[in-house]
Amino acid sequence: MTQDIRDTENFDKTREKINDIKFFFGNTLTSENKKAAIGWFCTYTPEELIIAGGFISVRVFGRKKIIKSESYFPINFCPYIKSGWESLLADADNFKAMIFTNSCDGMRRFFDIASKYLDRVPSYLLDVPHLKNKDSRDFFTGNIDDMKKFIEKLKGEKIDEEEIENAVKLINKKRKLLKEYSNIFYKSPNLIEIPTYYKVMKLSMISDPKIFLDDLEKYLGFIGSTDKTNTKNGISLQPDRRNSPAIMIIGNFIAEDKLWEMLSKMNLKLASEDLCTSNRYFGKQVVTDDNKDLLESIAERYLNKPQCMRMADLGSKLAEIENNIVKNNIKGVIFITLKFCDNMLYSFPLLKQRLNNMGIPVLYLDIEYNNFSEGQIKTRVQAFLEML
Amino acid sequence: MGIKNRLKTGIQKNLNLRYIKRLLGIIALKPVLYAYGKTFPSASDKYLNIFTIESLKKAYSDNNRPIGYGSLFIPYELFYALGITPFLPEVMAGFTAGLGLAPQTLKEASSHWYSQDLCTFHRSASGAAELDLFPRPDYIITSNLACDAAQKSFYIHSVKHNIEKNYYLIDVPYRYSEGSIRYLTAQIKNICTDICSKTGKKLDISMFEEAFGLSNELRKWAIEVGSLRKNLVDYPPSFNGLNFILPFHGLAGTREAVILYKEIYRDLKKYSDKQHKESLGKKKPAKRILWLHLKPYYRNEIFDILYRENCRVVFEEINHVYWPELDYKKPFESLARKMLSNFLGGSIDKRIDVTLKAAHDYKADGAILFSHWGCRQSNGGARIIKDNLKKINVPTLVLDGDCVDQNNSSQGQVKTRLQGFIEILNS
Repeated sequence: MTQDIRDTENFDKTREKINDIKFFFGNTLTSENKKAAIGWFCTYTPEELIIAGGFISVRVFGRKKIIKSESYFPINFCPYIKSGWESLLADADNFKAMIFTNSCDGMRRFFDIASKYLDRVPSYLLDVPHLKNKDSRDFFTGNIDDMKKFIEKLKGEKIDEEEIENAVKLINKKRKLLKEYSNIFYKSPNLIEIPTYYKVMKLSMISDPKIFLDDLEKYLGFIGSTDKTNTKNGISLQPDRRNSPAIMIIGNFIAEDKLWEMLSKMNLKLASEDLCTSNRYFGKQVVTDDNKDLLESIAERYLNKPQCMRMADLGSKLAEIENNIVKNNIKGVIFITLKFCDNMLYSFPLLKQRLNNMGIPVLYLDIEYNNFSEGQIKTRVQAFLEML
Repeated sequence: MGIKNRLKTGIQKNLNLRYIKRLLGIIALKPVLYAYGKTFPSASDKYLNIFTIESLKKAYSDNNRPIGYGSLFIPYELFYALGITPFLPEVMAGFTAGLGLAPQTLKEASSHWYSQDLCTFHRSASGAAELDLFPRPDYIITSNLACDAAQKSFYIHSVKHNIEKNYYLIDVPYRYSEGSIRYLTAQIKNICTDICSKTGKKLDISMFEEAFGLSNELRKWAIEVGSLRKNLVDYPPSFNGLNFILPFHGLAGTREAVILYKEIYRDLKKYSDKQHKESLGKKKPAKRILWLHLKPYYRNEIFDILYRENCRVVFEEINHVYWPELDYKKPFESLARKMLSNFLGGSIDKRIDVTLKAAHDYKADGAILFSHWGCRQSNGGARIIKDNLKKINVPTLVLDGDCVDQNNSSQGQVKTRLQGFIEILNS
């Protein structure tokens, strides 16, 4: 009994430490960016080129409080875009430039708005194909080359091959470590709390990659060391989520701290996910090949990364989700979409049909980006988990 | 009860594929069809209705296989060249509104998990598809041109009919560049090659000659109609430029479209000549309205109010001829250029250019942008369009509503806003 208590105390301390982001990511959080930043919005933006140009690549998470942005967009428009625009209206001077993608109708119009009403910061739109074949890869390679030229203009000089190679290595390393981290998160649901996991993901998208990687390596090192000592005994003494039903979350740009905290408090066992704020960002490496142009390798990676519902082949996306469900023994799916995301909304009828065929229940939630109604969502998630 | 109302009531009571086929079988018989045509006040309306019914009859007839679903901005010359009978679900959604079927189709879509936040053209079409009101397709050709919705909802149709291998998305690039033309040309060629290998036809450029010739003729007459309208104020009763979506797109490449546009020209020419003869000075000049985006396809008061208030819709952006002549010797590249020229694809600058030029050419006093619920591509650009028109002193009313779902549009509010706008124009 005494031993059990000691194990519990040790585990609690370890867990507390592992979830102390400020402690492990102190350098990332406090470092002042010496380099200029280029902002981006969609995971189809090849960060490698931004880094190769000597800039910091910063994903815009947007301002939660919308004031001015409403007058630029209709009421039923992507709330992330409105938040992003609110953020640019207030903080655009923090950026050297903005890079958009034509990922969806909303983003196309967002780029138009930024181009027309934000004259002090240049904007660029990267054309991302919807198809995944040789022709689309070649076309996309050309478009990435065009984006490179845009960055070269900002830089004032050419970006050389070595700079791109180094950036590819750096971002690949980030992807590899984030993948490792996410595997630990899925396997040890008692150890890393859901909000912690997504805070780390957020930091990975907004920070200087070198500083972030230093912190992440140390962090993973610490988690690895505790795994061998405390965790094994500790897990059995914690509220055990191993017997809870494994849940997969499918969504888009879900970056709602209150949601993660709520799910964490409900002891939800998150075993897999498909989000723009996690695996769609870090999934799949750029595979370089001496016989292949570097930009082509980058194009290949971005077209074949865990895909957004925007891509033409919805069938392969659904197959990707089905594989994940089987592989991770998922018992229920929570489908969370930001309101008015057409690509997500159109994927749901088929997804629902496929999940029905597999006997997997699904909970459909659509949320605002800036006005999370916790009470209502909590009741629905609770009922869903009880049903499972 | 007139023939039109009888048709409407009949289909509302018997909403099933068998009844639709039976109805088309009767009404598309030449004598019946032409008797029906005579109930319309102008030749253009008459031919519009006749050709629409005939094209539906073909799509619903099993004798005209293969049938291909196509989204609105696909170049339909492709269908006619390949011998595919086209069927346009988005246009059909407009008919569901006009025939009062939308409440049923939208309800069906909701029961299949289509969110109410989605565009009702696609929701209603999807509901109709789920109710099995559409003919079974052999091919589906869609694109990302203008909006995201078609490529997604049409993919669902392909799964329903188990023809995913015959689903083709034409991925239209954002920019008009040589690289974009190459990418798009290759896609169109691949689609044609693939379909020909499935239909057993030999892909030959001569198959495009007739369709392209007719399409070019349609283009010529559509430009003529547009030119005539630059000074036209009085129109034939019930003429509405927003009714010609099907022939402008879905019948491009057919003889029927050419006949129809010639008839529109003749109809309008009569009014133009009459206008010249009469002294316009006696009348208070009408306010000239440029219409942006689409309109409600159910019974509504918008155009009656405009007419009563002495306002005339002098042009609709959707009728802008945006593409160059097609060259059958370069069929794939020609179609690629047509698609890339569409002002609703890519940057909003293309739409601004068309809007400003139309406002200038048609001497618009004001513009109305009908803000159809769920249309992100159009509504997302409303502020920019409005600001640009303001620079040339053309006030714009962004009129919120729904083209298909009557219950999602407040008639009272529409009326109030419209009247407020007319007051501004008259002030």
